[in-house]
Amino acid sequence: MEDNSNPIKTTRKHVPKGPNQRLRQRTAILIIAILVFGFGAALTRLSFLTLVQGSTLQEAAVEQQLKDTTLPAKRGTIYDANGKVLAESASVWQVVIAPIYLKTDEQREAVAKGLSEILELDYDNVYKKTQQESYYVVVKRKIEVETRDKILELIDTLDEKYECGNVIQLLDDYKRYYPHESLAASVIGFAGSDEQGLEGVEYEYDSYLSGTPGRIVTAKNARGTNMPFQYEQNIEAEDGNNIYLTIDENIQSICEKYMQQGVVDNNVLNKGVCIAMDVNTGAILAMVTTDGYDLNKPYELPADEQSKIDEITDDTKKNKAQSEALSAMWRNKAVSDTYMPGSVFKMCTASMAIEENKVNDNSTFTCTGSITVSDKTMHCANTAGHGTQNFLQALCNSCNPAFVQIGQLVGMNKFREYYQGFGFSEKTGIDLPGEADDTFWAEGEMSDVDLAVASFGQNFSITPIQMITACAAVANGGYVLQPYVVSKITNVDGNVIKSVEKKVKRQIISNSTSAKLNEMLGYNTQTAGASSGYVAGYKVAGKTGTSEKIGSKTESSFGEDYIASFCGYAPADDPQIAMLVFFDTPSGGSYYGSQVSSPVFINIMSEVLPYLQVKTSYTDDELEFVDVAAGDYTGISVSDAKAAVDQDGFTCTVKGDGDTVISQIPTVSSKVSTGGNIVLYTDSNSQKETVTVPNLVGYSASEVNNVASACGLNVSFSGAASSDGVSSAQDVAAGTSVSPGTVVTVSFASSDSNVRD
Amino acid sequence: MAPFKKMLLKADVNKIYDEEYQREQSAKDEKFFIRPSHQRKMKNTKLFSIGMGIDLPFCIIILVLLTIGTIMMFSASYAYSYYTQGDSYYYLVRQLIFVAIGIAAMVVMSFFNYNKLHKIAPIVLGIAYFSLLLVLILPAGDGNVKRWIPMGLFNIQPSEIAKFAVILFFAHWASKYYNKMQFARYSVIPGLVIFGTIAILLYLEPHYSGIVIIAILTVLMLFIGGIQKKYLIIGFVAVAAIVGILAITGGLSYAMTRMDGWGQSLVYTDEDMWQTTWQTRNSLYAIGSGGLWGLGLGQSRQKYLYLPEPQNDFIFAIVVEELGLVGAAIILLIFALLVWRGITLSLRAKDKFGKLLGIGLTSQIGIQVVLNILVITDWLPNTGISLPFFSYGGSSLIMLLAQMGIVLSISRTANIERK
Repeated sequence: MEDNSNPIKTTRKHVPKGPNQRLRQRTAILIIAILVFGFGAALTRLSFLTLVQGSTLQEAAVEQQLKDTTLPAKRGTIYDANGKVLAESASVWQVVIAPIYLKTDEQREAVAKGLSEILELDYDNVYKKTQQESYYVVVKRKIEVETRDKILELIDTLDEKYECGNVIQLLDDYKRYYPHESLAASVIGFAGSDEQGLEGVEYEYDSYLSGTPGRIVTAKNARGTNMPFQYEQNIEAEDGNNIYLTIDENIQSICEKYMQQGVVDNNVLNKGVCIAMDVNTGAILAMVTTDGYDLNKPYELPADEQSKIDEITDDTKKNKAQSEALSAMWRNKAVSDTYMPGSVFKMCTASMAIEENKVNDNSTFTCTGSITVSDKTMHCANTAGHGTQNFLQALCNSCNPAFVQIGQLVGMNKFREYYQGFGFSEKTGIDLPGEADDTFWAEGEMSDVDLAVASFGQNFSITPIQMITACAAVANGGYVLQPYVVSKITNVDGNVIKSVEKKVKRQIISNSTSAKLNEMLGYNTQTAGASSGYVAGYKVAGKTGTSEKIGSKTESSFGEDYIASFCGYAPADDPQIAMLVFFDTPSGGSYYGSQVSSPVFINIMSEVLPYLQVKTSYTDDELEFVDVAAGDYTGISVSDAKAAVDQDGFTCTVKGDGDTVISQIPTVSSKVSTGGNIVLYTDSNSQKETVTVPNLVGYSASEVNNVASACGLNVSFSGAASSDGVSSAQDVAAGTSVSPGTVVTVSFASSDSNVRD
Repeated sequence: MAPFKKMLLKADVNKIYDEEYQREQSAKDEKFFIRPSHQRKMKNTKLFSIGMGIDLPFCIIILVLLTIGTIMMFSASYAYSYYTQGDSYYYLVRQLIFVAIGIAAMVVMSFFNYNKLHKIAPIVLGIAYFSLLLVLILPAGDGNVKRWIPMGLFNIQPSEIAKFAVILFFAHWASKYYNKMQFARYSVIPGLVIFGTIAILLYLEPHYSGIVIIAILTVLMLFIGGIQKKYLIIGFVAVAAIVGILAITGGLSYAMTRMDGWGQSLVYTDEDMWQTTWQTRNSLYAIGSGGLWGLGLGQSRQKYLYLPEPQNDFIFAIVVEELGLVGAAIILLIFALLVWRGITLSLRAKDKFGKLLGIGLTSQIGIQVVLNILVITDWLPNTGISLPFFSYGGSSLIMLLAQMGIVLSISRTANIERK
């Protein structure tokens, strides 16, 4: 188009150009193309990326450049009511390797060998981990100080020999310890391997206990290691809060001790439950589900159970059995299981009848041994019938026909109203996980028969915690409380951040009704003795219960399975502590609440009430059986000793011809019943004298006392000696030769004729 | 055209060209090395044309770019060098050696009488062909590509030689047959033959970005050499057709795998693609992180192994991250000044060969800068075009500085003095 060699030929409108002009023009185009279009495009694109898309791109860049390392927070400690540690976290370490730094197989073998030996792991497994192309492989978690020291040594050795010690890293970690092992296992629960609460208080209060993990945000390069420039942000871990339980370790251990004994003695197939509650606040002082587990090893089943599961060949079934067994072991029966309260519920039925003025002291009820409601006949425990009884007698006799009549007096609507009022139809709101719901007839579906049966606590089920809450309401003047196990939560500095106050849901019965019940139930235990929770020196109110487990497959040695329970409180005139004891499916000598649960209740109360410094109030009758500590009468003249013995309320027998007392039986401080005989020895010959222990079983308390003193022995009474009980055991076997004055402990249990439901 | 014409007229260099032919003839008889004091009259000396007679502004621009480039190369390579070589100064030390050799080469070439290149232009082209063939015979390097001839301390990239050879040859050709360039047999035919053969050899390496640059340079040289525009248009259509055919037959597979992630590096589709676009994505992250003012010199985070080989083709992403848009714009401005000064001084060369050669050599830098930035900003596929003065690399840097030496040599003869 441009014919520069011959400008004359050009007919175009362009001005003819010389070679230099053409070059200049084209160079101008070139400059424009490169500088304007080329550089312009480049700059436009760069501006767009930096200014418009900049923040988005930077965000994405930062996201891949930052490394977030979590600093574990120390989990809070759980204390009992007295500040004893129940659960605590301690520093441990985590072994992590960065196998990508391993270059040779020799190094890998050395690392794998060292680690597998120290950590007791399978060599092949560890070796596989060393082959991974990774910067972070966890080898073992939660190693303790001694192991950590060994690992540190190993790191040094590896550094020297193979120059690969930097592969192994020890990271901070925490481990949960439960110093009391199985104590209050079902309440405390346990924390998992990541310090997360899995059961009980550990689960319920996890958010308080767990604290806030800290973070170290550092810049990392594409390989995940730190960049050498200043970009680090530390957020300190915030340790978890501490929790104080209302559970008292002492009371809890007493309860567990006797509950366990009760389970063994009565061959209880389905565990036992014991709940002790402060009736005035609703604080749970002890909560036991028997056959607890070691919280330090929550995944370890009892050996016999484990071996049974190990026999299963099918893996799926085996795993299922394993997890079922574990969850059964962890289960807090006191809140998660329901049962039929049986006669224990009569205290509620009685309360509503009194509150509604349907009965008074003079009301009489006739029992013929059974009662028929709408063609359905219900039997009394006493098949012969109790005859005509007043209200108090009916309660003491635990007469079912009488209570059917009382229930009818109350009426279906009122009964339901009170049932709800006592809190049976709602969750108690206790701060423990997995609280179960009751099972009761829906509105309008309750028949007369149902009402009749419900009057004596059958055919509906409630949780043990609901029962004890209702019992506390009966005792404390009618206030239905919200039970709780955590009294306060403190932060790391010890400041209280949450404190739990007594929470009254409602008043269901009046103070006077409550007082009346206290009197009646107190009378019940006083008269019925050992079979109904009598504790020497204290006014205890309580009610036994034996309920049939309807609908469950029979497991026990009896025709049917039963739940033997006892629910009571003390002192009756000023209730402080309420306690429910129940054994699910006893399969030993008896299934009656009065025989299975009542003795356990008595044993626990006998220790717990003195511990709580509840004032004793012995009757004269009882004082006779109260043990007194023998004083020291040795080293003084016989006459002086006699005077001292007399002053302490004992009698004495002097053996030998010496002038001074050289020894005595019972020895100093041993418990001797009031009026017991102290044998004082004045010479060594007389000490060789022995007496033979007679049989002391099968007598009343006074008889035992007579027989024993005739032989020159002392007796210590255990159990309900002051009532019409019969001695059931002696700690020194009959026929044994012992020194005169030796104390023989005689236990009293209720006689069979006294069995009541 | 009119405004540009006006612009050049304003520059008032027109009359220089009238005496051009005579000078061209006399230059051929000059000595191999120029002795500036004899060649140049020092009258009316301006600030920028004092000293040895070379164009000082152009020389200063080169040295400024070289300094900035080396500093940025060090900054960008610091971490990568540490992690891969165990020594943060690994690339810096080597680059400084290349810089030294390159400056020496530049100085030597600035004294070299470029007119002597007239005669050896076909020889240089021959060397280029030889090296392009040689590299195909030698064993393949990383990624099964044959792009480098190992030379001990550094590798020689035959395509670098080819670029120079193409510029040199067409400068020679067009100045020799300047008045016949409107005929196809003097412009189109040699263009097609030389580009075609080189392209085939580069295709075998394969080195597609090399083909693209050679194509652009060929067109550029023919354009300023005086080819008729219709041939260029026909050429564009033909090239598009060839690329299309190659793409359809799958011969472009290597480039296509690189193009696969073109423009979609920020969107996660699948793992393979995510890996393929890794470099481009991290380049964009780096540029975006820079913002207006940058993170500060040495403060790049993306260079910590996120951006692979940050000292090479993608160095400018790190530059933007550290110096921001402002820093990048300043560097681009310096490049623009280099191109402007290089072209304008070449236009004042006393012969056609010098003009064409100087324009070709300086334009090549501008083209590479633009292509490089468009690649790192994901507007062009990731094909491997280095950034002059910045990217690490021995042969290309030395070649580049030697070529700048030639431009400086041209500047000695250029009538820069203004009235």
